[in-house]
Amino acid sequence: MSLPMRIVTRVGRTLLLMLFVAAGTILLVRFAPGYFADSREMDAKYAEAARSEIQAENSQQQSLSLIAIREVKGWIKGDFGESRQYHVPVAELIGARIRVSALLLAEGILYGWLIAICAALPVSSLRKGGLLFGLPFTILLAIPAAAMATACILAETGGPVLVLSLLISARDFKFLRSLLEGEWRSPHLLQGRAQGLSPLALVRMHILPSVVPQLRALATLSIVTALGALVPIEVIFTVPGVGQLAWSAVMNRDLPVLVAVSLLMASVVGFAGLLSTRTLTLEEA
Amino acid sequence: MRTRIAAGILLALILGAGLVLWLMPYDYAFQDRDAIMAPATAQHWSGTDELGRDRTVRVSAALLIGLAGASAAAAITTMIAAGFGLVAAFSRPAIAAILMFLSDVFLSLPWLFLLMMARSLLPLTASPMQTAVTTFLVLAALGWPACARAIYRGAAALRSAEWMIQGYACGLKTRQLIRLHLVPHLRPLLLPQFIICVPAFIVAEANLGALGLGVGEPMPSWGAMMLELDNSALLARSHWVYLPIALLIVVLLLLESFTTEAETNV
Repeated sequence: MSLPMRIVTRVGRTLLLMLFVAAGTILLVRFAPGYFADSREMDAKYAEAARSEIQAENSQQQSLSLIAIREVKGWIKGDFGESRQYHVPVAELIGARIRVSALLLAEGILYGWLIAICAALPVSSLRKGGLLFGLPFTILLAIPAAAMATACILAETGGPVLVLSLLISARDFKFLRSLLEGEWRSPHLLQGRAQGLSPLALVRMHILPSVVPQLRALATLSIVTALGALVPIEVIFTVPGVGQLAWSAVMNRDLPVLVAVSLLMASVVGFAGLLSTRTLTLEEA
Repeated sequence: MRTRIAAGILLALILGAGLVLWLMPYDYAFQDRDAIMAPATAQHWSGTDELGRDRTVRVSAALLIGLAGASAAAAITTMIAAGFGLVAAFSRPAIAAILMFLSDVFLSLPWLFLLMMARSLLPLTASPMQTAVTTFLVLAALGWPACARAIYRGAAALRSAEWMIQGYACGLKTRQLIRLHLVPHLRPLLLPQFIICVPAFIVAEANLGALGLGVGEPMPSWGAMMLELDNSALLARSHWVYLPIALLIVVLLLLESFTTEAETNV
């Protein structure tokens, strides 16, 4: 398959993924209890006739296809509706919080990777004691993100970036260690060692170039992990980001916000995957 | 050896929790109004919470509920994944591609957002038992894609095995072949998938519960018990507040040893 064709296929796949997410979200929202509830129906100032008219109007809008058409038309125009709890356009609400979450994610992933790589490289080269040195990461793996964040607050140390970094480093360390252990044991590395090449030269010239494809896949996985941890971390540390907005939307049944956040998450993950595959295909070409 | 020790400790914890629930005179929802936020006493071994509920009983119940719920959800997930993977492996390539794309859709979305979305759509009047069942069912419904992909690969590789061709030649139907030959061969793949899912579901439930979206009160759960750590008055009175989180980490570490072995065997 030619390079442009590959890119087109990947972009198409990502767009199709977003379409599926949108369809699934609309379906969930349509059947959510209370979605069609209108506060005007409970308002005493409206006459009985007006209330039944509101009910009739709402029942006309309950068709799945009508909701889908209305929502998709809005999304194309960049209109994600209005937040039910804040009475502000959803795009405006999310726009103000994206920068905060993006910065947190970028810092968390960067430091997480640095910790994981710096720990995995020496630990994977050890013949004995790897289990002992990997123990801190195993313990970190067993601590839920919410518990880690609460512990940080109680100890009055660290912050959201530290928690996110530790969480990502624990996950990535596990994969990196098994990946690098295999590399250290490969025959060409043993030959290099026998010829007296320094460990640094072995890492730079042999190990890193051969694990680059797996590292790209791991990068996409790190983004998914970080997005999943974003909600508890932002909620517990009261960071005004997208995760906190999503949580508040869930608690207050603000479904227009939830739909927009789900679409945002799908697009981030879809394009992150696309980016890693695209750079791969460009290099192959 | 390591997994045997871990299994032994885990079994002892389960038996201990069962014994506590059986021997203690209160249930997890009983409120002792004379002992609110009490420290550890002979009556309440690890103190009480802000409603006067016995912490030992609640932690024991949370351990059993968490393990039972996560195990049941993991079993359901493995079954869904097995069905999905087998259908994809024995379908035409176009159908298999569509099914695997569907699993990609689920796989590429952050779990917690999907869980929150699904959980928020439940009626507000749901009982604690309903919320517990729904939370674990939602976890089961969202956890299958990674397993399905692994099972699809395993089944697709076995489809062209000589014994399968022999089976076809002997006149066995696809359904019979799957039931009698393929599923037993896939068991070494299914069991690790189940084991890997259990701690993942416990962590997901704990995170959801800490956000107030997990199992409903008064039913105890890891996540709901972690919320106690927000109560500074309780923290100042007793260190036993840390018991649930300490026990959760121990349980997850024990399960982690099974997971590591399972991942090595996949």
